[in-house]
Amino acid sequence: MIDKEEYEYVANVEDFEDDSRVLIDIKGREIGLFQTEDGYFAVGNYCVHQGGPMCEGKVSGAVTAGEDFELKYTKKGEVVSCPWHGWEFDIVTGEHLAHTDHRVPTYDVKVEDEKVYVRA
Amino acid sequence: MAKSDSAQDRIRSIDDIQTTVDGDFHITERQEDFIEYIDDPYHSMMFDGRKMSDNLSYLSSFYPSAGLFSTGVVSGKIDNPTVNSKETVEKGMEVLNVDRVHADPTQNLYLGIVHHDDLAAALANAYNSWVIENIYDKDIGIYGPAVVAPQRPDKAAEEIDDRKNEDEIVSVFIPSGGTHPPLGNEKYWPIYEAAENAGLPVVFHNASGTQIGNFPLQFQGTNRYFSNHVPTHAMTHMMHITDMITRGVPVKFNELDFVVQEAGLGWIPYLMQRMDNEYAEKREDVPMLEQPPSEYINDQFYFTSQPIEGAKDPDYLNSIVRLLGPENLMFSSDYPHLDFDHSDELLRGLRSQFTSEEISNIYGGTAIKVFDF
Repeated sequence: MIDKEEYEYVANVEDFEDDSRVLIDIKGREIGLFQTEDGYFAVGNYCVHQGGPMCEGKVSGAVTAGEDFELKYTKKGEVVSCPWHGWEFDIVTGEHLAHTDHRVPTYDVKVEDEKVYVRA
Repeated sequence: MAKSDSAQDRIRSIDDIQTTVDGDFHITERQEDFIEYIDDPYHSMMFDGRKMSDNLSYLSSFYPSAGLFSTGVVSGKIDNPTVNSKETVEKGMEVLNVDRVHADPTQNLYLGIVHHDDLAAALANAYNSWVIENIYDKDIGIYGPAVVAPQRPDKAAEEIDDRKNEDEIVSVFIPSGGTHPPLGNEKYWPIYEAAENAGLPVVFHNASGTQIGNFPLQFQGTNRYFSNHVPTHAMTHMMHITDMITRGVPVKFNELDFVVQEAGLGWIPYLMQRMDNEYAEKREDVPMLEQPPSEYINDQFYFTSQPIEGAKDPDYLNSIVRLLGPENLMFSSDYPHLDFDHSDELLRGLRSQFTSEEISNIYGGTAIKVFDF
């Protein structure tokens, strides 16, 4: 059972049918809620760079390099890029992909009876 | 920013430093000094039926010129000393009051734009043979690089293998001015591989006149030495270093050190900050990087100090040196070239803000570590 005092009901699973992202607001805090292959994740919608609405940006994977620098496409659906300057953030960890000492807050998500709850 | 040195440990002059190293001292060789050392077929092509003293006509210089007469003539006020023997190097070392020099070439700064790739490799080989036989001498502190021609990376790698065991060879010198394509390109990686295997750092040195060869085209529209010389050293280094970072050279060759010469100071923290800034937005362009670009600069790149700009403004100088990292800086004079710095120039500014250990490293300790001499 989800502790309803701790977790807030914010969306339904069916809300993600058209888009893997839903923007929510909990006590004035803007949060992006994302559906990935591994479940649901929530991050703050405020880019630590210059305050852009980062969760409104493109959801994608990330280009990475292998041992011989061959390009790969990884983390599909787990990266959101701020629409202002393209700063990429890992939806799961909140870490900036380039400067990993930069991160945005993440929030616990739980699903019960097709309802999505966030602790914020 | 510790200022805890006791009075007797404080460095007041470079006499207080155990071993002072000049990271960019110059031999002023001319082609005629070393051309006799060139191997066949070039030796026979030039000298079969001729003597060295004969007029070689348009063979008199294989090194393109940007139309400079000489630095002395450009200033009109001074004559540069000729440095083409042990004795003349020693004389310069006395003027500078230094114990060791990393002795770099002058005419071979133009090697990268010699318009004949195989000949360029042969000229590098000839210069190395001449300088090793006639000038380098560890007993009097004259060390230097093996010069290589970037036009033929395979020959450059052979040159490194052949010279690496010479006692006085402490680096690999790529004349980077005008070298095209920029030095991150995979075609140069055999040079980096050979240098890394030999345990030798790679030194980059531009000459502003080499801009006639390549980057950037706008310099062909300038009409004075001033507009050429002011921006080109730093711009060319920025181009090469950025290309190297973009292609992952320091990731691939993570045991290799790079020494970047003669472009002053202020551009270094600028480049580091600018690359980190762009990296935040354009990481997908450089996905092989495992850390921000400035970290590779901190870990693997060293910079020689001359020509120091802003020495008369201690606030500027101290801030810039602190920003680029004193542990990445090596004192250099560039003697006997036109804009050389005397040994005291940098020290005067740093004395008030840097510890004796930091100053000792700038004036020798770091060079001794990087060049391993």
